[in-house]
Amino acid sequence: MSDAAAIEVRGLKVHFANRSGAGAVRAVDGIDLTVARGAFHGIVGESGCGKTTLARTIVGLQKESEGTVLIGGRNRAEWLKSDRKSFSREVQFVFQDPLGSMSRRQSVYQTLEEPLQIHRFGSSVERRRRIAELLDLVALPETVLDRLPRSLSGGQRQRVSIARALALKPSILVCDEPLSALDVSIRAQIVNLFTSLQKQLGLTIVIVAHDLAIVREVCSDVTVMYLGRISEAGVTRPLFREPAHPYSQALLSAVPSPDPRIEAGRRRIILAGDPPSPSAPPPGCRFNTRCPVAIDVCRVEEPMLRSVPHGGVAACHLADSGRRPVI
Amino acid sequence: MNISAIRDIKDWPWLVLLPVIGFVLIGIFAPAIMPYDPSAQDYSATLEGMSWNHWLGTDYLGRDVFSRIVGGARISLVAMVIVLVAALAIGVTIGSFAGYVGGRVELVLISIIDIALALPSLVIALALIGILGTGYWSMITALTLAWWANYARMSRAVVTAELQQPYIEAARVMGAGHLWIFVRHILPHVLALVVVYASADAGALVLAIATLSFLGLGVAPPTPEWGQMLVDGMSYIEEVPRLVVLPGLALTLVVVSFNLLGEAFALQKVPRPVRGATLRRRRRARAREEAERNAVETGTTSA
Repeated sequence: MSDAAAIEVRGLKVHFANRSGAGAVRAVDGIDLTVARGAFHGIVGESGCGKTTLARTIVGLQKESEGTVLIGGRNRAEWLKSDRKSFSREVQFVFQDPLGSMSRRQSVYQTLEEPLQIHRFGSSVERRRRIAELLDLVALPETVLDRLPRSLSGGQRQRVSIARALALKPSILVCDEPLSALDVSIRAQIVNLFTSLQKQLGLTIVIVAHDLAIVREVCSDVTVMYLGRISEAGVTRPLFREPAHPYSQALLSAVPSPDPRIEAGRRRIILAGDPPSPSAPPPGCRFNTRCPVAIDVCRVEEPMLRSVPHGGVAACHLADSGRRPVI
Repeated sequence: MNISAIRDIKDWPWLVLLPVIGFVLIGIFAPAIMPYDPSAQDYSATLEGMSWNHWLGTDYLGRDVFSRIVGGARISLVAMVIVLVAALAIGVTIGSFAGYVGGRVELVLISIIDIALALPSLVIALALIGILGTGYWSMITALTLAWWANYARMSRAVVTAELQQPYIEAARVMGAGHLWIFVRHILPHVLALVVVYASADAGALVLAIATLSFLGLGVAPPTPEWGQMLVDGMSYIEEVPRLVVLPGLALTLVVVSFNLLGEAFALQKVPRPVRGATLRRRRRARAREEAERNAVETGTTSA
């Protein structure tokens, strides 16, 4: 394995052309992102901020309009073109909707066997053994093997789809909101599964989520996105303790605390209005239309990412290595 | 037979298979069943009534009507199967290709399909027979070319719909090629629908074959064929109505049984309420699974 970062995204833009041609939707609009090997990286942001598009572009389900994605130092676009199979042995994707991402005609066994067949993995006996290993890994009983996806519970479905992603022993797992289709009671189990898998297999995991409490618990690093751009990024603990960007502060204030005393005194920042349309982002800082502490420069000049007190970076005119705005 | 008895038939959908299987068996074993050569003429016994020698009598050339009906079943069956298989192959290939490739290719192909669908299939068949000349094989060619468009249209619709499904993307992520995705994921859906439609369509095809022969554009005269028999019998419809009624009846039975078969297939897709023993069995199975699942899931959280 090379020294290069597991995932490196440079100047990534993904624009969806409008039918009329004018005003393309800029789902991802200039993102640089580095995910180190072995990291558990969370991408958070509200709906429509482009986090799913980012995840899909990393694995090549979506073509980039500009910029590059490097996987282990290799250009993803060229890699996919020249050798799709070896790429899929390196990077796998877990879908948001486990039911939809499995063929409704295939039993769990067939679903798990499919990637092995595509990659001509061993004889049918060896495949059977590998499938047993996979079930073990995701803690599913062998009785599920002859069932159809629709007769599984939500948690079981997501376990199957994780097992399928792991079948080819990838080193990177990109998950697009793997928890949002699950009941709250099941989420914790799947989260624990992710962390134990990461420890066991040394995976690099990128997880798109909007459940901030879970991100705080499990992710080593976190990236906050707003309207197709990164507004703040850093190591999870310090970033959650003292978020520099006003948007992150508002977002994080929405996380409930399990402690009723803290919860009673918790201050909630409610942002006014909706996020602007990604086809026509406002001039200056993208957040200026909803930012409670915006000043004149915010409406004119777009802030670059700069170091902030918690050790990460934030794109805010009011924050630098010595200070951060507090709203 | 009262209403409730009819409703009960729905519980045995395979019952409708019986007439179809009967037709197929008669078609296959026709040479063994026919007591006479269906084209052998016997001028000493023309237009005879039903008797032990000739179960369904003879026609104006002294040919055994029973043998001709049985022989006609064979002709219809073989022609129908050839046309259906060929039309399915062409239709599914073109339709799936159009749906999978998309873009301009799809636009061109779908226009061709639409043009073919806009014209009644019999009109296309007649025009083609005009070009190809009459005969067994030109009838089969003409019918195939008149029949594929429906299957192409259906295949394309299924392919387009299935391509939207996230599991296709999942297969792409796994490194699957286009051929893999098509054969493993899309073709089964296409065939499932198209075969059901074909089962109902078979009846219409048997009718079309008879129609062409009736018009003298299909099977050449000495060969036994139901449409042919109808024309031959027409001149004697007043004296010996049997000559028209019997082949007509055979034709009707076959068409109706194929239609019933198609209907039964379609009904299979409609969920019916589950009652009685089946319901209790399923409830028990579900409860058992639930218990198992709970055991497993609580087991993993505590671990």
